[in-house]
Amino acid sequence: MAEVRFENITATYGKKTILKDFSLTVNSNEILCLVGPSGCGKTTLVRCLLGLMKPESGKITVGDRVLFDAKKRINIPAEKRNIGIVFQDYAVWPHMTVLENVSYPLKKRRVPKGEIKERAMKALELVHMTTYANHLPMQLSGGQQQRVAIARALVVDSDILVMDEPITNLDAKLREEMLLEIRLIQSRLKSTVLYITHDQQSALQLCDKMAIMEPNGSLCQYGTDEDIILHPANKFTFEFIGVSNMIPVTCKGEKICLDCGVDYKLDVELPKGTTFAEKSVMGVRMNDVVFDEKSDVKAQVVSKVFLGSEYNYFIKLGHKVIRVQQSMLDAKLSGVPEDGATVGIRFVNPRFYDAKEEHSEAV
Amino acid sequence: MKLFKQNNNLAALDGGRRFSLDKALTITTFVLLIIIVLIPIFMIIFNTFFVKATTGRWSLDLSMFKTQLTDTKNLSAMWNTVKIAFFTTIVGTIAGVFYAWLLGRSDIPAKGLMRALFNIPYMFPPFLGAMAWDMLLNGRGGYFNKFLMNLLHLESAPLNINSIWGIVFVEVSYYFPFVFMQVVAALEKMDPTLEECARIAGAKQSTVIWRITLPLTKPAISAGALLILTTSLAHFGVPSIIGYSQGIYTLPTRIYAVIYNAGGSFEGIRQGAALSVLLVAVVSAALILQNKILSSGSYDIIKGKSTRPTLIKLRGAKYPLLVFCVITLLVIVVVPLVMIVLVSFLKAYGLPLKLENFSLIQYTRVFKGGGTIDSIKNSLFASITAGVVCMLLGTLVAYVVQKIKPKNKGALEFMSMLPYAIPGTVLSIGVILAWQGSILNINLYNTIWIIIVAYLARYLSFSMKTSSAALLQVSSSLEEAARACGASHTESLSDITLPLIRPAMVSGFFLIFLPAMREVTTSILLYGPKTRTLGVQIYGLRDAGMIPQAAALATVAIGIIIILNTLVNYIVKDRKGV
Repeated sequence: MAEVRFENITATYGKKTILKDFSLTVNSNEILCLVGPSGCGKTTLVRCLLGLMKPESGKITVGDRVLFDAKKRINIPAEKRNIGIVFQDYAVWPHMTVLENVSYPLKKRRVPKGEIKERAMKALELVHMTTYANHLPMQLSGGQQQRVAIARALVVDSDILVMDEPITNLDAKLREEMLLEIRLIQSRLKSTVLYITHDQQSALQLCDKMAIMEPNGSLCQYGTDEDIILHPANKFTFEFIGVSNMIPVTCKGEKICLDCGVDYKLDVELPKGTTFAEKSVMGVRMNDVVFDEKSDVKAQVVSKVFLGSEYNYFIKLGHKVIRVQQSMLDAKLSGVPEDGATVGIRFVNPRFYDAKEEHSEAV
Repeated sequence: MKLFKQNNNLAALDGGRRFSLDKALTITTFVLLIIIVLIPIFMIIFNTFFVKATTGRWSLDLSMFKTQLTDTKNLSAMWNTVKIAFFTTIVGTIAGVFYAWLLGRSDIPAKGLMRALFNIPYMFPPFLGAMAWDMLLNGRGGYFNKFLMNLLHLESAPLNINSIWGIVFVEVSYYFPFVFMQVVAALEKMDPTLEECARIAGAKQSTVIWRITLPLTKPAISAGALLILTTSLAHFGVPSIIGYSQGIYTLPTRIYAVIYNAGGSFEGIRQGAALSVLLVAVVSAALILQNKILSSGSYDIIKGKSTRPTLIKLRGAKYPLLVFCVITLLVIVVVPLVMIVLVSFLKAYGLPLKLENFSLIQYTRVFKGGGTIDSIKNSLFASITAGVVCMLLGTLVAYVVQKIKPKNKGALEFMSMLPYAIPGTVLSIGVILAWQGSILNINLYNTIWIIIVAYLARYLSFSMKTSSAALLQVSSSLEEAARACGASHTESLSDITLPLIRPAMVSGFFLIFLPAMREVTTSILLYGPKTRTLGVQIYGLRDAGMIPQAAALATVAIGIIIILNTLVNYIVKDRKGV
C-alpha cells in the first residue's frame, strides 16, 4: 500500500469551482477520514482520484506512480489506476451473483480462472459473506450488499482503498458494526484508506488522521482526532465537530464581557499580543459549561433531558439559550438542578472568534 | 457548435479513451437523428414554400400553400379531422378511465381475464376493425343492417357506419386502451394510504374518487389522451375505409387522395406536402390546447412500493356492470373479429352467412394471387429491421441523453421526440421528398428501404423512451465501480450497462415490431410495385372490391399478430423471472 498525495488540485464543474489549489496527503497504512459538510467537494476529490473527473490543474500521485499531472499532461484512465472504491449506494451489480461481483476485478486483470475463485472466496471470507456467494444482490440486505462492495474493493491488491460515505445508508447499529469491521480489516491488511464522510462521529471512531474540509472546498485542518477536537484551527472546525455554544462577547478594558442581555465579566485574560474584534463570539463546548454555585454568571434552567449516561440541559443566559452537558459523575457530585432553577455556570476552555468573519483564525 | 465543456490544454490527456468514445457516440447520435428525423421534416416545409424555377434557382412561392388553404375540400377535410379527433379523444378518455377504474379498483368479478381482453383492441389493427364494421353496418347492405331490415320490415338501413360518427365509434373502440392501460398502471402504483387518509378525514367514497383518485391519476389520463389525440389526427385507415364511399375526407385521407390522383408526380407530392403543413399546424394547435387544459404535472407519490389498494365494493351494481363490460367486449372485440373470419370463408361477398356458402376458396385465391406472400415477407423484413435498428439507435440516443449529457442534449431529446407529434402520413411525405434523389442522389423510392426509413423516424421515440427509463434506473456509480475495478469504458458498457437494460431493449423492439407489422398509414404512401406491406395488401384487395379475399388475408394477419404477441409475453416474462 502506498501514500497518496494530492497537490494543488483545482477542479471545476461547469463554471463553478469546487476545489481550488487543494493539497492533501494520505499516509501509507493509515486511515484518513476526510470530513466536511455535504456539498463541500469531498466526492469531487474522490472522482478526481479515481479518474472519473479531470481536474483543471494539479497533480495526484499514489506511491511513486503519477496518476494525474496537468503540467506533464499525464492522466491515467480510471481502469488503470488500481484503486479500490466503495460507493455510498454500494454499486453492487444487480445482474451478477455475489461471487461474480467480487470476481469481476480479477477477471479484468486477467487472473487465471482457478485463482479467481480462490481469491474471491478469500475476500468474501474477510467480510463474512462466503455463505452468500451465489446469491443475487437483491436477495441481500443493505449491510450485506455493503460487505460485498467492500470485498470487491479488497479482492485485488489496490494501492489504496477509497470509501465514499460507505455506511450512511445503514441503520445505526449496523453502522457501528461495519466501522469496527473496517478498522479490523484495515489493520489486518495494512491498507491505506481514504474514508469520506460528513458524519464526524464515525470519523472519530475510525480514523488515524482526520482532515476537515470547509464548505468552500478548502482544507481547514489536518491532524489526529485529538488534535482536531482539542485544538480546532478555526471557528468552522470548532462548530463542525461536536455540539458547541456560540455566545456573543465584547471587550471592556482588559476584561471580556458577555454580550447577550447580561454583561457578566469573564474571568478570562485577553490573550497577549492579539487584537480583539468589536463583535466577537465565545465558543464553548456543551460539556465545557460547568454548574458552579460560586460563579457570578447566573442562568436559568429551561429544560433537561436524561440520556442514560449524561444529562443535557437547555439553559437561558440573558436572551441566549445555551446547551449544557452534565456527566453522571458530575450529577452525582453536584446534584441535578430543577427546571426553572437559577444556576451559576462557569466556562472551561473557551475560545474567541471574530463574529463577522466565518472562517477567521482563532484570536 | 461547442459540444463539450473542456479545458483545451488537457484535451489530449486521456490517451484517447473515455472522452473520445463519448464524443463519438454523441456525434453519431446527432448525425443519425438529423438524417432520420430532421431532414424529412425540413424537406416538407421547404418544398411547400419554395419552388425550383426552370433556371435552377429556388424561390419563395406561397401560391401552393394558398391554393391548398383556400380549397373548400381541404377545409372541410380539416374540419372533419378536428371533429373526429376531438370526439374520439373525449369519448375514448372517458371510456378508458371508466373501465380502468372498474377493473383496477372495484371488486368486479373475473378481473384478470377481462383485463387481458381489454388489451386486445390495442393490438387489433384499427383498419381491420373498420373493415369489419363496414361489412356489418354499411348503409347500403351491411349484414347487420340487412338482418335488421328483415326483422323489422324496414325500407332502408336503420344504421349507417359511413359517417363521421361511425368513424368516431370505430376509433374510440381501438384507441380507448391508450388511456385504459396508462390509468390502470397508475392506479396500481398509487399509494392506497392517500385514499385511506381521505376516508379517515371524513370524505365519502365518491368524494375520494373525485378529489383524490382522479387528480392523482391526471398525468396518466393526460398522457393517454394525448396519445389518442395525435393518433386520431394522423390516422388514415379508419376514415379511409369508412368515409371514402360517402366522400368524407380527413386530412390524412385527403393527402393520400391528392398524391394518388397525381400518380406520384412531383406536383402531387408538393400538394401533399402543403396539406401536411396544414395537418402539422392542426396537431400543434391541439397539443398546445391539450397542454393548457390538462397540464401534466407529475406526482411522485404515485411511484414507489406497490401495495394492494383496497377494492371498492360495487354491491348491487356489481353484476349489471359486469354485463355491461362483457357487452362492451363483445361489441368491440368479438363481433368484428367473428365478422372478418366469417366473411373470409364466403364464396362471394354479399351472400348470406350460411354454411352452404362457406369455403376456403378465398384463402387459396389470396395466396395464389400476386403479392400476398411477398407482402408478408416485406412486412416481416421491414418491421424486424426497423425494430432492431430503432432498438439500438433508441438506446444510443437514450444513453447519450441520460449518461453522457452533452451540452445540446435538449436538442437531441427534442429531435427524437419530434416524430411522436408528427403524423405518420406527414413523415411519409417528408421521407419521399428527402429520399427520392434530391439529397446526394440517393433514391430509395419504390424500395423497401424507404418504408424502413419512415418506420425509423416514426417509431424511434418508442424505443428511446423505454431505454431511457431503464437507463435512469442504472445508477452511474455502477459503471464507475466497473471502471475502478479495471474495466475500460467500452467494457463497462458491455459488462454492466447493456446487460442491465437488455430487458427494456427487448420490449422496446416489440413495441416497434408489432405496430409496424400491422400499420397502413405510413406504407400506403411509400409502397412500390414490389414493396407492398401486409397492411397495404389488405387495403388494396378491399379497395379493388375483393372484400372476402381482404378478409381472408386479414384473418391471417390477425393470426400472425396473436402468435407474435403470445411470443412476446412469453419472452418478456421469461426475462423478468431471472
